[in-house]
Amino acid sequence: MNYEIVCGIETHIELATKTKIFCGCTTEFGGEPNTHCCPVCTGQPGSLPILNQKVVEYAVKAGLALNCKINTRSHMDRKNYVYPDLPKAYQISQYDEPLCEKGYIELDSGKRIGITRIHIEEDAGKLVHENGYTYIDYNRSGVPLIEIVSEPDISSAEEAKEYAEKLQLTMRYIGISDCKMQEGSMRCDVNLSLRKPGDTKFGVRTEIKNINSLSFIQKAIVAEAERQADILEAGGTIVQQTMRYDEKTDSVAPMRDKENSDDYRYFPDPDILRFSIDEEKVEEIRASLPELPFDKLKRYMNVLGLPEATAKLIFRYRKVAEFFQGALAEGASVKNAANLIVGAIFSNMDTEEEKELFDIRISAAQFAALVKLADEKKINIGVAQGTLQKMLESGKPAEEFIKPEDLAGISDETLERLCREAIDANPRAADDVRSGKDKAINVMFGYIMKKTGGKADIRKAEALLRKLIGS
Amino acid sequence: MAISKTDIEKLAWLVRLSFSDEELERFTAEFDEIIAFADTINQSIEGGTEQIRSVGARMVSFDELRSDEVAPSLSNEKILSNVEGYNGFFSLERSRK
Amino acid sequence: MRAGISELAARLRNREISSVELTKAYIDAIEKLNPTLNIYVYLTFDTALKAAEKADQMLDEGDAPLICGIPMALKDNICTDGLPTTCCSRILKGFKPYYDATVWEKLKKQGAVLLGKANMDEFAMGNTSETSCYGAPLNPRNTNYVTGGSSGGSAAAVCANLAVYSLGSDTGGSIRLPASFCGVVGLKPTYGAVSRYGLIAYGSSLDQIGPLTNSVKDAAIVFDAIKGGDRRDQTSVDHDYGSSLAECLERDVKGMRIGVAEEFFDGINPEIKSSIDEAIKLFERNGAIIENISLPALKLALPVYYIIACAEASSNLGRYDGIRYGHRASSYTSIDDMITKTRSEGFGDEVKRRIMLGTYVLSSGYYDAYYKKACLIREEINREFDAVFEKCDVLIAPTAPNTAFPLNYKGASPVEMYLADICTVPVNIAGIPAISIPCGEDSRGLPIGMQIIGRRFGEATVLQAAHFYEQSAGKVIDDYEGGAVI
Ligand SMILES: [Zn+2]
Repeated sequence: MNYEIVCGIETHIELATKTKIFCGCTTEFGGEPNTHCCPVCTGQPGSLPILNQKVVEYAVKAGLALNCKINTRSHMDRKNYVYPDLPKAYQISQYDEPLCEKGYIELDSGKRIGITRIHIEEDAGKLVHENGYTYIDYNRSGVPLIEIVSEPDISSAEEAKEYAEKLQLTMRYIGISDCKMQEGSMRCDVNLSLRKPGDTKFGVRTEIKNINSLSFIQKAIVAEAERQADILEAGGTIVQQTMRYDEKTDSVAPMRDKENSDDYRYFPDPDILRFSIDEEKVEEIRASLPELPFDKLKRYMNVLGLPEATAKLIFRYRKVAEFFQGALAEGASVKNAANLIVGAIFSNMDTEEEKELFDIRISAAQFAALVKLADEKKINIGVAQGTLQKMLESGKPAEEFIKPEDLAGISDETLERLCREAIDANPRAADDVRSGKDKAINVMFGYIMKKTGGKADIRKAEALLRKLIGS
Repeated sequence: MAISKTDIEKLAWLVRLSFSDEELERFTAEFDEIIAFADTINQSIEGGTEQIRSVGARMVSFDELRSDEVAPSLSNEKILSNVEGYNGFFSLERSRK
Repeated sequence: MRAGISELAARLRNREISSVELTKAYIDAIEKLNPTLNIYVYLTFDTALKAAEKADQMLDEGDAPLICGIPMALKDNICTDGLPTTCCSRILKGFKPYYDATVWEKLKKQGAVLLGKANMDEFAMGNTSETSCYGAPLNPRNTNYVTGGSSGGSAAAVCANLAVYSLGSDTGGSIRLPASFCGVVGLKPTYGAVSRYGLIAYGSSLDQIGPLTNSVKDAAIVFDAIKGGDRRDQTSVDHDYGSSLAECLERDVKGMRIGVAEEFFDGINPEIKSSIDEAIKLFERNGAIIENISLPALKLALPVYYIIACAEASSNLGRYDGIRYGHRASSYTSIDDMITKTRSEGFGDEVKRRIMLGTYVLSSGYYDAYYKKACLIREEINREFDAVFEKCDVLIAPTAPNTAFPLNYKGASPVEMYLADICTVPVNIAGIPAISIPCGEDSRGLPIGMQIIGRRFGEATVLQAAHFYEQSAGKVIDDYEGGAVI
């Protein structure tokens, strides 16, 4: 029997604010345990929370980037549960008046995955279990989070991965989070149930908590869908419970916690006043958003005419895209600029992180100056690539590395002389070319390139060689 | 509305309280009276269906919220001053005889 | 009458007495009386004497605030840096906050001299102060009776002259009720008028810190010293009261519109009713206009209060888990077990009852019928008060339906005990200010309290009316014999 996957994703994202959501402690990562703490974030008696404006601003940014409606009035609620990492025994969150509602993410297929809501809340501390002891560090306690809840619109593991990927990219783009799943600044909970095709009723769902990589989302869904299908096939029923994905065994198992039976007793936090954001403020925040990544991708392809593969390599890193657009603004051509970034600059950057950071020593203007030399055919692409490497290493402009003779190029007479030399030096290759073995011409190209240090115009050389060989 | 001992125990678990059998007996009886008292609000005035929000009508605007400026945190010694810590952590033996 | 703050301030300034001498007089009296009366649960004599020396310097330098050098007490739920703050609960035994409550920070800056932390009902839950883990304080006027609660120690300290003034907190009457039982003045300010930062929370939307004093003028002086908005408490308001409230008390009541709501007099002890009636007549004779008004939603105020306060408390008290401060169970099988044991050992019965009620009214399936309904009725009560204050400047009501209970009164169930709060809780629900002042004694010689209630931030009018009564009514209760000799 075939089953249809019905899946929704709840994503927690740590916001890149300077201070925690309810106190002035730094959100900086690391630090000795319990050194980024104060009475508020360790839940000392008598302390009171004071909401950070930036958290609201960032959440509104997220909402706008995900096509949400922004609630101009909102408030904080308390979610009550007991756990040692939660110093007040309640998490300050939002229940029935979230900041943002009703948005969507569009997949490549054109299908839209609905966003139910985005709300703000506080993170908990960290527990370390060791030798029969539990040690607690509250440095992360009170770090601001947004929770993005999708509609159960996702119907395959691939869609889930694409959804999470697009979400991650968009959040990075608008600069509200680095969304590093390995470090926990983005974590996903997946809700999943199965139903027979054509059924309108949802089956019983399970929740897979705290998935920390994009590929694990995909794998966890496959594993859980299989597990549920096996149960259903055997005539069993699915139990609503919280699950954990184990990447080592690539399987999903129920969590042992009593969490399943909690009653959170949400109610409005009396310590925090309800707050409003007027339309004007929302528009101001909207205006501060950069061009969103998938709008940019479309423009690169449709307006700039970049091939899809190249466009996709550039648009996904905000700093790369800015550098690229900066070069275009300085007059560089789309094609050469894109190819040099992808071909030369990226060759020094192995990891996603390096591309994300895009920490390079030359400016977009310096880059554009080089691209323009290639655009005007004053240098060929090979020289441009070589020069670019030297520029990246030294941080110096192109003119430091390009000699006047490079710019002049190889004269027609010199090229003809070199072609003759090449034929004379490789008589067998010349014969092969004559007899139709076209590839043999490469031997002569090699000779010419070596002699000119790669500066010869290869198309001109080819024409000349063929004329001289008489093929 | 009578409340059972099991209900009491379930509620107690949510807030991590436990009662001895004798306490539970007494407590359940008292709690019945307390619930009946709380229930008097349901004997009058039909409540609306509006949402409940924070206290009263007071509201703050976005501009009045705290600006994102770091304030110094407290020293680890202070944070741990009311417990025995371990290497800067709050420390908790997972079981103790 | 006993010397008030302004008189003491004058004597300190003309060198008749130094703050150190004044403080020593109070220390002597406390040492003599506290072992019986059990008013202070923690004494801070060393720091008091140091503070007094500093206050004397401030006084020498001139321009010191009015309260500089004057010995006082704080309720044990107000955080004091480095000094125990336990809410009179076993669960917080030994807890020393490393931060000051905003009110204490303000008073300290003005040269206040703290004698110690005053006894109270555990976590301010109660109206007799008998739920304190240190045992109940005794009513100085008659030691067979309770002080009232929850700020019983704060009221008794002032009554017995073991402090010139004190601070208490009032969630459902916890300043006014003990003030009434002990025959002192107690002001519950408008919600937000005084910062709650560092006040250990009971019902956050109701809690408010205020002064307990011997006179209305002293209450105004102390209120002046502690009021004002605070960056650390978002619910606080920097209301502009114009000038010092203590300086504009003198005002007659000609034309003042005083509301009297029958609902406040339902089931009130006849002796109390007649004392309040007398007081109302005195206002009327002096030109006040008495308006008979009605507040029908008031009959629901008591359950509404208990539902909201307990709901908030059930959440506020979740943090006492033995991990970061306070009591931790000594043997346990798991962390959950440790937390459960810690809380079961650490909290007293009344606190447990209220946590349980609060958990119940918030739990799924009951939220709408209790918590949400209570919030809606709260709004209705607010609307009724708003309407009443359109035509009245203040309301007059009894503070409590009875005078002080005898100690260890076993006859009452928890719910019957809650009834003592019936006149005070509406004020907290509405977040408006009210003062309790003595207005007579019952046949047993126990003080009767009268409440004067104002509109939001209407403290000036409340204090003026109370001051007028205090000055015009003459001696309404006997002075307490004893306490500090100055
Ligand atoms: Zn903090």
